[in-house]
Amino acid sequence: MRYFKPFIFSIIMLCLLSSVASAARIEISAPGEQTIPLAATHLLPMGAGYPGLAEEFQQALQGDLELAGLFDLVDPDAFLSDADKLGLRRNEIDFYQWRMLGADALIKGGYKVDGGKLTIELRLFDVITQRLLTGRRYVGKLTDVRNIAHKFADQILKSLTGEKGPFATKIAYISKRTGRKELYLMDVDGHNSMQMTSHRSIVLNPDFSPTRKEFIFTSYRNGNPDLFRKEIYTGRESRLSLKPGLNIGGRYSPDGREIALTLSKDKNSEIYLLGTDGTIHRRLTNHYGIDVDPSWSPKGNEIAFVSDRRGNPNIFIVDIFTLDVTRLTHAGKYNATPAWSPKGDRIAYSRLEEGNFNIFTINPDGSDDRQITFGKGSKEHPRWSPDGRFLIYSYDLHKKKSIWIMRADGTGRKKISAPGSNDSHPAWSGSW
Amino acid sequence: MKKTTITVMVMLFAMSLLVSGCAKTPAKDEGLTEETTKVELKQQQPAVVVEKDVKDDAAALARAAELAAANGLVRIQFDFDQYVLTDVAKAVLVVNGELLTAAPAVKILIEGHCDERGSDEYNLALGEKRALAAKSYLVSLGVGADRMSVISYGEEMPIDPASTKAAWAQNRRANFKVKR
Repeated sequence: MRYFKPFIFSIIMLCLLSSVASAARIEISAPGEQTIPLAATHLLPMGAGYPGLAEEFQQALQGDLELAGLFDLVDPDAFLSDADKLGLRRNEIDFYQWRMLGADALIKGGYKVDGGKLTIELRLFDVITQRLLTGRRYVGKLTDVRNIAHKFADQILKSLTGEKGPFATKIAYISKRTGRKELYLMDVDGHNSMQMTSHRSIVLNPDFSPTRKEFIFTSYRNGNPDLFRKEIYTGRESRLSLKPGLNIGGRYSPDGREIALTLSKDKNSEIYLLGTDGTIHRRLTNHYGIDVDPSWSPKGNEIAFVSDRRGNPNIFIVDIFTLDVTRLTHAGKYNATPAWSPKGDRIAYSRLEEGNFNIFTINPDGSDDRQITFGKGSKEHPRWSPDGRFLIYSYDLHKKKSIWIMRADGTGRKKISAPGSNDSHPAWSGSW
Repeated sequence: MKKTTITVMVMLFAMSLLVSGCAKTPAKDEGLTEETTKVELKQQQPAVVVEKDVKDDAAALARAAELAAANGLVRIQFDFDQYVLTDVAKAVLVVNGELLTAAPAVKILIEGHCDERGSDEYNLALGEKRALAAKSYLVSLGVGADRMSVISYGEEMPIDPASTKAAWAQNRRANFKVKR
């Protein structure tokens, strides 16, 4: 096998060279089949060093690369002398050393700190062909170290698969760490968490605008579950929908022009479409049962939702133009929280069985229903990364709520929320 | 004459004896009288309160009815994933309805709640259905619909946060709060 890996990697690189269309051949949904042996060297100082910076960068980058599931990271303890040489040009690198270690790809980088300004130079090489695959220079503040690592991880995925990674994005979520449910924002790896609301009430279920730096959420601040909108950088906040009864589960359409949500203004929960000014555009469901939890198809023409119209809660799909409703899930007795992949090919949802939720994915035509989480505790509220490769979800084990991330096939599960923080209901931003 | 003088003197003596005797007896009585007065004062205070009560009778009765409603409205329980009223719940609502009919000025908020099992969004809708089921039953008992508003908290506000059957049963409820 060891001999074949460089060979496979060369072929992938040839494909990348020959055409962009054939570039995206590495399937992350089948991890382990095509992992690339990768050596990620430490950042070296270009001039005076800065304590802790290289370690912080390494920790952030390595977390992303491990989660990606594409790589077989070469043990840094085995690195030879080239790892300590700053040379970033291909003719300055001793590729033979890296071939000896079995690495097919190599990351090298250097940094410079000048006042508060941070410059990081990064390179990804193909060890076999001794070619530069991608090179990037990032300039920012000292506090941007992790963000630069995430951006480069996204770039590495782009150069190896044709599609960039989702690591330099944001997660909105609900946390009860203050004793009340408030809205927070954090990086995809759980760092840089920031409290975004101080409603001292109950804040629920956020969603990002796909086009602007803002989110929507439901809050009881004014004594009714109203839908709020908040601009992330200005902090400006307004109530978007305050109909009597529920204004919950708001989800932006893929083009950002409409919001699907549940209203119960007529004494029964139904799915509606709102304009971004809060006016009602259209009512999508009309049934005496419970209709909640809308999730848009990436084309924006269909919406998956939860309804008990056939007895137990199940996932249905409504065509927003014809208003035709079809049933998606048939197995299990309690299916909820659908999330349509941005790729369109799968719908994730959670199923309640024997007291616990587990996450499943299913084709939009109802075929290939597959369980992807197992074991103790409840796993709920799945949401896709913008590239459709990963899922983020709430995990509740013995009342301890935390946010986890995993690959779309359920492998690589990793807790990202801080210990004891009581977090749930994650939402994944688009590119940031 | 002498005889007359003696007789007068004897009579005077006798009278003086009588007078002194009379004087002694009232001295004891005075003490008794004082005690009686004290008792009378004690009795007078409640008598004043009773008078006032009679004056404000209707308002006080209404206030008593409102107080009875505020303290006496009993919450109702539901089965898992159900918003249909059980027979027990209906019986409780009949009592609640009587309390509300007796206090026509009282407005209430009906809160619908769920246990922790099930999806949050779905439970918000389910909690609202529970509150609305309670409201419409009270309307059928003659309580004005405009006196009752509803809100759902889904599974956000459990009475008992434990994950036991008993806790879940307690948490699947509609409760009634008098609005101020």
